[in-house]
Amino acid sequence: MADRIFAGVLFLATVAYAIIAFVSISAPFQYDPLGPESWPQILSVIALLCLIHILWKPDVEGLEVNRATAFRLLFMVALMIVYAELYEPVGFIISTILFGALTARMLGATLKHSAIFGLAAGIGGYLLCAILLDLNLPEGELVEALLEMGGT
Amino acid sequence: MDTILTGLGTGFAVALDPFNLMLVLAGAFFGTLIGALPGLGPINGVAILLPIAYSMGFEPASALILLAGIYYGAEYGGRISSILLNVPGDAGAVMTTLDGYPMARNGQAGRALSLSAISSFIGGTFAVILMTLFGPMLATFAVTFSPADYVALMVFAFASLASLVGKNPTKTLLGALIGLMLATIGIDANTGVPRYTFGIPDFLAGIDFLIVIVGLFGMAELFTLVEKQVSGKLDSLPVDNSFVKMADLAKSKWTIVRCSFLGFFIGVLPGTGASVASAVAYGTEKRLAGAEGHLFGTGDVRGLAAPETANNAAAGGAMVPMLTLGIPGSGTTAIILGALLMFNIQPGPLLFTQQPEIAWGLIASMYVGNVALLLINLPLVGLFARMLTIPQHYLTPMIAILAFVGIYTIVGNPFDLLLVTGLGVFGWFLRKMEFSLAPVILGFVLGGLFENNLRRALSISGGDWMILLEDYKSVTLYVLAVLVVAIPVYLQRRARRMEGDPVSREDAND
Amino acid sequence: MLFQTTSHASGAMSRILRLGAAAAFAAGLGAPAMAQGEIDKPECVAPAQPGGGFDLTCRIAQSGLEPHLSETIQVTFMPGGIGAVAFNLFNTTRTDDDSAIVAYSTGSLLNIATGKYGQFSEEDVRWVATAGADFGAVIVPADSPFESLEDVMNKLTEDPASVVVGAGGSIGSQDWMKAALLIREAGGTPQGMRYVALDGGGDAIAALMGGSIDVYTGDVGEMVPHMDAGTMRVLATMSNERLDEPFADVPTAKELGYDVEWTIMRGFYMGGDVSDEAYNTWVDAFKAAYETEEFAKLQSEKGLLPLNLAGDELTQAVNDNMAKLREIATEAGLIQ
Repeated sequence: MADRIFAGVLFLATVAYAIIAFVSISAPFQYDPLGPESWPQILSVIALLCLIHILWKPDVEGLEVNRATAFRLLFMVALMIVYAELYEPVGFIISTILFGALTARMLGATLKHSAIFGLAAGIGGYLLCAILLDLNLPEGELVEALLEMGGT
Repeated sequence: MDTILTGLGTGFAVALDPFNLMLVLAGAFFGTLIGALPGLGPINGVAILLPIAYSMGFEPASALILLAGIYYGAEYGGRISSILLNVPGDAGAVMTTLDGYPMARNGQAGRALSLSAISSFIGGTFAVILMTLFGPMLATFAVTFSPADYVALMVFAFASLASLVGKNPTKTLLGALIGLMLATIGIDANTGVPRYTFGIPDFLAGIDFLIVIVGLFGMAELFTLVEKQVSGKLDSLPVDNSFVKMADLAKSKWTIVRCSFLGFFIGVLPGTGASVASAVAYGTEKRLAGAEGHLFGTGDVRGLAAPETANNAAAGGAMVPMLTLGIPGSGTTAIILGALLMFNIQPGPLLFTQQPEIAWGLIASMYVGNVALLLINLPLVGLFARMLTIPQHYLTPMIAILAFVGIYTIVGNPFDLLLVTGLGVFGWFLRKMEFSLAPVILGFVLGGLFENNLRRALSISGGDWMILLEDYKSVTLYVLAVLVVAIPVYLQRRARRMEGDPVSREDAND
Repeated sequence: MLFQTTSHASGAMSRILRLGAAAAFAAGLGAPAMAQGEIDKPECVAPAQPGGGFDLTCRIAQSGLEPHLSETIQVTFMPGGIGAVAFNLFNTTRTDDDSAIVAYSTGSLLNIATGKYGQFSEEDVRWVATAGADFGAVIVPADSPFESLEDVMNKLTEDPASVVVGAGGSIGSQDWMKAALLIREAGGTPQGMRYVALDGGGDAIAALMGGSIDVYTGDVGEMVPHMDAGTMRVLATMSNERLDEPFADVPTAKELGYDVEWTIMRGFYMGGDVSDEAYNTWVDAFKAAYETEEFAKLQSEKGLLPLNLAGDELTQAVNDNMAKLREIATEAGLIQ
């Protein structure tokens, strides 16, 4: 069943992909007989045939993920999206402390250990990556503003 | 021969200077650290660390040696995350996860890491020796590879990949197609028309393959870890002190030799590199293993040695067209070319005659870099393997943090962090649906090469499809493609006839 | 750093007064620079992966401006959309970033002209300075039957499809433009030629040497290391005047009577809302660098020819260039 739903979603996406390939992609002129549209057209047709086969004969019954696990997974995805969104505005250090601590806590570390881990990951990670390896990590507008105030 | 020996002599005199030796060790160490970050490979390692070296004002020879150290270090660093975490550091390391990660899960992380170090070393050394002896000759041959021949090479690559077929062949094919379709996003390389970009500028140049790898593999692995962790299906591993055994080396010795040559020759061709080499090597070895092929993917030492040897040999091979012809054949050699230019060294046909100390110094530093890598990493294997004893509730957020650092640093665009997360969710679903992810990645990596070379060949011929069969190189590759599919079938049949029932029963199981 | 103080640029004192606040912060970091332009954490954005032309352009700013700025420029990479990601970012969120310059080339201008960069145009950013120039070149392998540009042009006039022209870019790219200009001059149309789009200059050189293509419309700069090797011949350069060694013997297309010229300008732009102080500091730093011999040496080391324009001069040049590019692109059917 899960197989069919997943294949169904992929089917719709591939149909959209195929429609774009057959209807909208074209070049003003081209030097090869295939042009920009033939390759995606071929791919989409074969993919649709594969998907029809899977829809016809699915072999995975269910996701086998219970409600609690699914909830945690959704929470994990949400955490990562928030982490990504905060990455530049508040900077690597603060966003990593928050993300590290919350994720560790969610996965079962104690409150104290989560906090320590978050701090270590945020500050240690910054020292290791930005200072030692000279990688370009965001300081964050907040930290930058603080530095400016301290500097003047 | 004489010129080669004297040249190498000069080169080694430079490379073995104590200060330079220290540099190569430091380079290998820091390169390993950077390479271990998901998404950051040799390209970024060199790009990040070289300007620092430049600002310190080293001599060109010393800088080159440092470069060789960083290059090999970062190359190897990518294996650490592949083997331990199932998160490949770059495209060349994707195939390493297939057997490396199962070995680590079986409590043999140390064995896998040390085997990887040794086969990388042998592959790398083979490549440098072949380069020393046949470099210029091979480079001249490699440029005669026309677009039509590349089409044949891609057919061969996909044929050898047919061995990756998992439980459900339809899903394997669909996986490769998903990769191929993802690869069509961006501006068409022939006509300049945007495809599937939906007006988003980030998509114009296509999705960066590092993002696809880190997303589909790394983030999907992360979600799988979370899932297992919260449903209580994940046991933490005991400290493992395993190390590679002589028996492992004996078992994989022919694999290592074959893949050294295979990897080197694929590496010499401009435009193909470690990813193609490791994929072809893995597929070919799995096929050649015949009846034992089904062990590949469950933690077989040959399945680990094959891609590891090949990708390092290919990395060495890729240096050939750059040094002898001044043609950067891959992203990594392009950055090395840039680095050489920073020191006013212009690689090209005349490098060996005009600046022999530089050319031979670089080759000697590649020998030394290879050894340095082995010296630095073998003692550290135990330490790296201990990473797996870090409790899961710390390891999981660490993977995410490292992956974000890796992805953010290459592009500096927070949009990619969201893209990686999205691809991770997609990858997790694919895994739940029992899709194998390797075909997806390989479809993605090979897709552009396949389509573009096919259309280039047809542009050259003015639309005549016969161009695909005109050259002996293409025809040879098509024959090899047929053989790589047919030989294992033949071998299995013969084995069955000779050994009778046990083998056929085993066959029936896969 | 410590000793290179007073002599580099005029008007140093006024700039220091203007930028007092930033200087106080920078001084805390150790360089009591006086005549150098004060830019806080200067950054050069190369809108590509490391190792390409934009990287090289930024390295020129990094090394060339070192004596003229208070801090060393950091080179950062922003690959994505052939430079479109960077162009859009500097037109939306980083429009007022005083510390960052972004590398561009004539190829970027071409993308702006053909609308690949989206809604923003050359009017929306501020053009700072050039790093140098490169020129188009017509290249054939050493054993080619074509002895001169004339041979190529005659063959193209006779039968446009009989010559396989290849280069490192798609239809509408700079490399293709060079080929299109040639065929136009030979009396054909861009649609009628036989063109192969290869993956960058390295790939194109390999295809030329391997015999897959007959003629490569490449650049002068990338030919420098190949000039003495004898594997390829440059039939003509697409510059206005003859170039220096090693190209002194190579005729220009113009002197052979073909009106084909292609200059690849490499330089830097900033966001549209940057402060005039910061913009002028950057422009002055470049102008000061242009005066030095080190900068000229740097350009030649990186395979570029001198083309030194900054500030208003550059803005004018870019506007002229854009008009010309739009004309060619419209003619070739790339702009409807």
